[in-house]
Amino acid sequence: MRDAYQEQLDELADALADMCNRVADAMSKATRSLLECDLQLAEEVISEDIRIDEVRAVAEERAFALLALQAPVATDLRIVVSAIHGAGDIERMGDLALHVAQAARRRHPLPVLPAEVAPYFAEMGRVGVALALKAGDVIRSRDLAAAAELETDDDAMDDLHRHIFTVLMDRHWSHGVGPAVDITLLARFYERYADHAVAVARRIVYVVTGRMPGPLAV
Amino acid sequence: MPPLPLPQQLRGLADLLGEMCTAAAGALDRATTAMLDGRVRLAEQVIASDARIDAMRAQLEDVATEALLFHAPVAGDLRAVVSAIRAAGDIERMGDLALHVAEVVSMRHPRPVLPPEVRDDFAQMGAVAVQLALKAAQVARSRNVILGVELDADDDAMDKLHRHMFTVLMDPSWPHGVPAAVDITLLARYYERFADHAVVVAGHTVYAVTGEEPDAIPI
Repeated sequence: MRDAYQEQLDELADALADMCNRVADAMSKATRSLLECDLQLAEEVISEDIRIDEVRAVAEERAFALLALQAPVATDLRIVVSAIHGAGDIERMGDLALHVAQAARRRHPLPVLPAEVAPYFAEMGRVGVALALKAGDVIRSRDLAAAAELETDDDAMDDLHRHIFTVLMDRHWSHGVGPAVDITLLARFYERYADHAVAVARRIVYVVTGRMPGPLAV
Repeated sequence: MPPLPLPQQLRGLADLLGEMCTAAAGALDRATTAMLDGRVRLAEQVIASDARIDAMRAQLEDVATEALLFHAPVAGDLRAVVSAIRAAGDIERMGDLALHVAEVVSMRHPRPVLPPEVRDDFAQMGAVAVQLALKAAQVARSRNVILGVELDADDDAMDKLHRHMFTVLMDPSWPHGVPAAVDITLLARYYERFADHAVVVAGHTVYAVTGEEPDAIPI
């Protein structure tokens, strides 16, 4: 019985880690669709978001089944409650990747990004995808050192985010209000995506240690 | 101290959710007033009081965890506990969004954040968002499913205001430049997300009571 129970807990972790891989893939494709004005890729991200929502539903069903049938205590209870939180965060990451793809589709065939800001978005995409993949690894390994790394990795995203505002607010910005509005929202989507990945890792720290790390600045 | 019986814990969770929603509504209401009237001290009060909402969330999670540990609830009671945990996350985020509005006011002070032509729109967005949060509070306390399902339609007013804001910003004759447009873009987003979260909070209650998501309820 105990083994079947342990297996259920592992399956729950696997479902969440799988979600992380999916939202990493979604953000990777969404970023490419944005940078390369690739409509087909954008459509792919948009149509695949429903799959991420389905995996979330499966993960939550597993969590409910564990709570109802096994009445877990101590660390196991923390795992299940954290999984419920984590599934919400990761689903939101998928939604944010979807928003990026929708922006690419809305402006197609025009590029959303002026050439001078495109490299920053390429970098935000890279950092975001790496964070999502690392969050997935942390879910599987429960490695506290790796979980702590996500917080410092996220600093790179915050720097990029701040830098983009500096570019937009500069008097020499020549692309007008429309692109600035798009870029403001897109930068926010990447930054929030990263915040959610960090939140997932922080929940794992809580699972292992029983304590949440210090407050998250959002 | 022995844990309270489950029905009392569930009552406690519903009351805490209601209290959190009311606090988030109050925070956004004050942040909006601070923005419209350029009242930086009020904005700073909102910033300082966000910790209270975070503390209520922590308290709610403790009660919920205790309920799971000592009573191992099943079926509707289990849904009520898990939904409360999730809703608390959404309400904490509503508090953060009110905080963000207040931060913009404080950052731009003594300059006003909003040009005159969008003031009324933001006053309306504030009113709609606060109403949604208060209604979500009522839904959490009363577990009234019919009221809970209504929030989704109420939110249409926010979506309309939000879309309208983009029309205003994208107008070639927009005279206030890029920095003001960037602030307004983010502020409008904060109000829209606040409202979305209020809808989700009510949805959690609908799910707790019925076992169905709100869009599956034939009302």
